[in-house]
Amino acid sequence: MTLHIPTTPAFKANARAALDNANLQSALRGSRSNSVSKRAKARADLPEFDDLRDRARDLKNAVLANLDLYLEAYEAKVVESGGVVHWAETAEDAQRIVLEICRAAGAKTVNKGKTMISEECAINDHLIANGITPVETDLGEYIIQLRGEIPSHIIAPAVHVTVREVETAFRKAHTHLPADRDLSDLAALMHEARGVLREKYFEAEVGITGANMLVAETGQSVIVTNEGNGDLSQSLPRVHIVMASLEKIVPTLEDAATVLRVLARSATGQESTVYTTFSKGPRRVGDPDGPEEYHVVLLDNGRTNMLGTDFQDMLRCIRCGACMNHCPVYQAVGGHAYGWVYPGPMGAVLTPSLIGVEQGGQLPNASTFCGRCEAVCPMRIPLPKMMRNWREREFEKKLTPGATRAGLGVWAWVAQRPALYRLATRLAIASLRLTGGKRGRIRSLPLAGGWTGQRDMPAPQGDTFMAQWARRR
Amino acid sequence: MGAAAVSARDRILARARAAASGASDPDRAAHVAARIAHAPEAPAPRQASSHGPQRLTQFMAKAEAASATLGRVSNLSELPKALAHELRKRNLPAVARVGSEPLFAGLDWGAIELSQGIGRVEEPVTLSRAEFGLAEIGAVALASGPANPVTLTFLGETHFVVLREADICAGFEDFWIAWRRRGLDPRTINIVAGPSRSADIGQVLQLGAHGPIALHLFIVAG
Repeated sequence: MTLHIPTTPAFKANARAALDNANLQSALRGSRSNSVSKRAKARADLPEFDDLRDRARDLKNAVLANLDLYLEAYEAKVVESGGVVHWAETAEDAQRIVLEICRAAGAKTVNKGKTMISEECAINDHLIANGITPVETDLGEYIIQLRGEIPSHIIAPAVHVTVREVETAFRKAHTHLPADRDLSDLAALMHEARGVLREKYFEAEVGITGANMLVAETGQSVIVTNEGNGDLSQSLPRVHIVMASLEKIVPTLEDAATVLRVLARSATGQESTVYTTFSKGPRRVGDPDGPEEYHVVLLDNGRTNMLGTDFQDMLRCIRCGACMNHCPVYQAVGGHAYGWVYPGPMGAVLTPSLIGVEQGGQLPNASTFCGRCEAVCPMRIPLPKMMRNWREREFEKKLTPGATRAGLGVWAWVAQRPALYRLATRLAIASLRLTGGKRGRIRSLPLAGGWTGQRDMPAPQGDTFMAQWARRR
Repeated sequence: MGAAAVSARDRILARARAAASGASDPDRAAHVAARIAHAPEAPAPRQASSHGPQRLTQFMAKAEAASATLGRVSNLSELPKALAHELRKRNLPAVARVGSEPLFAGLDWGAIELSQGIGRVEEPVTLSRAEFGLAEIGAVALASGPANPVTLTFLGETHFVVLREADICAGFEDFWIAWRRRGLDPRTINIVAGPSRSADIGQVLQLGAHGPIALHLFIVAG
């Protein structure tokens, strides 16, 4: 299993392949406007939305400023209710801890609700290598597990898979069902997945879920889902493991409500997901169901190193996916091109933090800096600024390609000489206008093949900004 | 988990501590303890501030918008008749899986065969009682336990939930206050808005993903 080895350094090649993938392009076209308009409507329906974003930002900043103390308070509450907290510094730590719990439980099958932290730690690969079968129960995650893929979107992991590809995957995997069954409509596909997974819920000895939040006041983990799979995964097996990164802490139940109010609206345009579940500890004395053991694996994996740096604000992220839904680059190439677990603008910032700028440095370049990601981020994370910070670091570490470095060097030299810069821009405008001729459009341009290969370049109209400014004063 | 995990904890906390700036440790501890004890007051959204008869109206409208169905029951003794009616209407068998909810114990269920226990693989009808409702989002909040086993909420193909009108809160603010006041500490609090759903196949929303295909709420007056 090599699924989790990042292909982020190959972003350009990945992106080219994604643009040529007709199925992917059709799937992306389908989801694009949908997610944008749903979020816009949800935002418009709640006049206080922007105030809530401010409060969500502030509460997370308060946690990050004293993260050590909030973690200790949270841990004490979990222990008080009979749960166990495991601290994982690295992905390998998390793999080892999860495997130890599964082995102690005698697990052959492990059911999984949706958890990005598990993807980050490649838990599935590790379980399989050790003879334990992980079963993804989120419908989208299940589909991509059958196809041997990783999620292409953090909220809609199978957004790149067409309906016919789902049918193909089901026919290949569900060989116990009649080969001539009718899977021509969406309802039949859903019904089949429901039936197959319903059986699996009862087989697993361990259930793993993620956590959208950890509440310091109570020691609860919170998950939000629409399918109910996370709840079945945690209620039926004997052991429940929560995998959470340590910045998921919120101080109180009221703070959790603030995050909930912006989370679903930003993610899917819903006022609330169907299921919002607060879990704490194992089943109580007298409880007829629920797990007998409750474990929380708290993952660091580089996050505490982000505290106090230019990238601390990224730890406010609540994984709603709004940034990628609104990103022109993500909308064009989808999630797989980003080459690792976290795609889109949030992935472009987080990936170099977690796997290093050497591996992930390509991603912050995959941005037009249009700023829509920051404009829609419910936690007001300055994503473009942080991508710019990564570009600077990539440049400082001399990881930027030679031609780009040379080009930037020339530009910087000219830009620092205003008279020369103005002369150069005036000359460039004049010559471009000449090339554009009467049509005002340029068919091909040296060094700009990336633009003119697909469309004409409009010739500049009017004068330079500085010249116009001088006239108006 | 042995010595290695303990030291991982220490190293993680040490890094977080090093990044915390400014105040002394005792000051920070007092500040954090106070922050956890009381979230700063903030005005609730209008949507979470309904009162009077308008609260019930909003709750019902939001629940229906989340694809739940609703029925009003004038008093608890009317509940079996209302359930029987719904079961017939939906072509469901005259059965229901329940926990040991005291509210249901004293009622005459007539022809409906109630069975007590946790959820099983095939569970056509389950019946639970919600502690509270939230008019803000049209959701019900259930407390897991012997009275209302959590698996009934997720394994029932049609899930019926009983809610007292007086237990409908305006929004999360008064809900958490009421929750704490009732002294509840279940393993799970399940806030449920409508039946389960997924858009993972072809990005078309379908009801009935893993949990209930239908959610029906009985609102009991008073």
